[in-house]
Amino acid sequence: MKEVIKIEGLTKYYGKIRGVEDINLTLKEGEIFGFIGPNGAGKSTTIRSIMNLINKTKGKVLIENKIFNKDDIEIKEKIGYLPSEINLYDDLTVKEMLNYHETFYKKNIHKRREELVKILQLDEKKKIEDLSLGNLKKLGIILALMHEPKILILDEPTSGLDPIMQNVFYNLLKEEKKKGTTIFYSTHILNEVSKICDRVGIIKDGKLIKVENIEEISNKNLTFITITSNEIEKIINDLKIEVIKKENDTIKFACKISHDELIKKLSNYTITKILIEEPTLEEIFLHYYK
Amino acid sequence: MFKREMKINLKSFIIWTSVLMILFLIVFLMYPSIMNSENMKMMDEMLKIFPKEMLKAFNMDISSIDTAFGWMRTEGFVFVLLITGIYSGILGSNIVLKEENDKTIEYLNSVPVSRRKIVFSKILSALTYIFLMITILGIFNFIGLSIIEEFDKKLFVYLSITPVFSSIVIFSLCLFLSTFTHKTKKTLGISLGLVFISYFLQILSEMSDKTEFLKYISVFTLADIRNVIVNISIDPIMIIISISLFIIFTILTIIRYEKKELV
Repeated sequence: MKEVIKIEGLTKYYGKIRGVEDINLTLKEGEIFGFIGPNGAGKSTTIRSIMNLINKTKGKVLIENKIFNKDDIEIKEKIGYLPSEINLYDDLTVKEMLNYHETFYKKNIHKRREELVKILQLDEKKKIEDLSLGNLKKLGIILALMHEPKILILDEPTSGLDPIMQNVFYNLLKEEKKKGTTIFYSTHILNEVSKICDRVGIIKDGKLIKVENIEEISNKNLTFITITSNEIEKIINDLKIEVIKKENDTIKFACKISHDELIKKLSNYTITKILIEEPTLEEIFLHYYK
Repeated sequence: MFKREMKINLKSFIIWTSVLMILFLIVFLMYPSIMNSENMKMMDEMLKIFPKEMLKAFNMDISSIDTAFGWMRTEGFVFVLLITGIYSGILGSNIVLKEENDKTIEYLNSVPVSRRKIVFSKILSALTYIFLMITILGIFNFIGLSIIEEFDKKLFVYLSITPVFSSIVIFSLCLFLSTFTHKTKKTLGISLGLVFISYFLQILSEMSDKTEFLKYISVFTLADIRNVIVNISIDPIMIIISISLFIIFTILTIIRYEKKELV
């Protein structure tokens, strides 16, 4: 399959402070690539470097095998970009903003605009300064999608959207994927990644520490169990548990057997309290990528 | 994009132009009643007592304020110079930088438009307003003067054009300075300071020979009202210097802007 986005040795330093270091990444046509990491890991720095908002210290970004330079209009026409914080012209109405957006593109993009406005249920008469965070996000999504770009770069696209709209948005992305659009999806919500992405890259402290297929990750099926019991020592011994954290009668551990098996085994003991959790992003980091 | 720029800047244009028009309107309404009165002659006599340097600084040695046009030559055009200068300075320091200040540049950067085109559209829009302001004021004052008195029309036209030279230089200089920062509040003070300090230096430079060198660091030397009044012509050197400075600052702006980190 065609290589659509290729990031080679991308490094960005703000003076002496590290932004990101030696990021290498290739996105194939039609894939949704989840880019996850905690705040401050370098997600936005990577995206802003791709978009040429900031200057790279080292490295380059190729779009369809062509270096993406600052003022490359042809490449820009192929990209739809949704920043994490959307700042638009407060003096305009939604309608005026969308009209303005249309003026930048040679092809007629009005039809797709009308479709998107309808799907996302946005009121075109409203002034941008009066839009709620969610509605502003919807407008951002429309602006990123309306010119039918081949590449989508999305920075935390669902923050601010209600669950119903999030689903509408996921469906939109699935549609885009069917059309062959390549999507770079930055987020810190793990759940989201497993729902829609094909592959995931994990960034930590400015470095891309792991790229993996979503299937592989979900096959690991990791959950964390917290149990409080008077017989806690016995449970640890009998079940051969590797304890992550222990506090008096309470332990936390990663569950490596099926839940069914676990519950059957635990039924032999007196359990005061049990908590089964999906791991947080940080826990995944700690568990797999020490 | 040019159209959008025109729309954004329309409001401040109307406000600034109106301020000057109201000022001149008051003068036009006032002058016919005081022009030939005893008070005016007394005033003129009184002015003669002032030190020569001082009168020179306000062009009063080569002009008198006993007519509306006389007032214009001494004070009126100074106001025009200052206000068009301030207006140009504010435009220069705001027009490109505003996108970064409001963070809308993140959007603008993502659409298929080059940085150079962004800067050009904005410069074009600003120049249009600067020229429009000077033209509207010129026409307004021409009509006003024509109603109340006879005046030297050629001199008037020359005087009306002169603010163009200082304005485009102030504009392009402020535009260039704005590429060094991301926040408009930092540049606004600098641009206003630039205008007032220039004006002050200009006045000082005309007071005596010792201070004459100061004129070389004032942009208002480019709109040399004094020379225009005395010779009824615009010094071509000033035109060339103004346009050259404008082009140099514009090129420097584009070079810097194309390398600038926008967030």
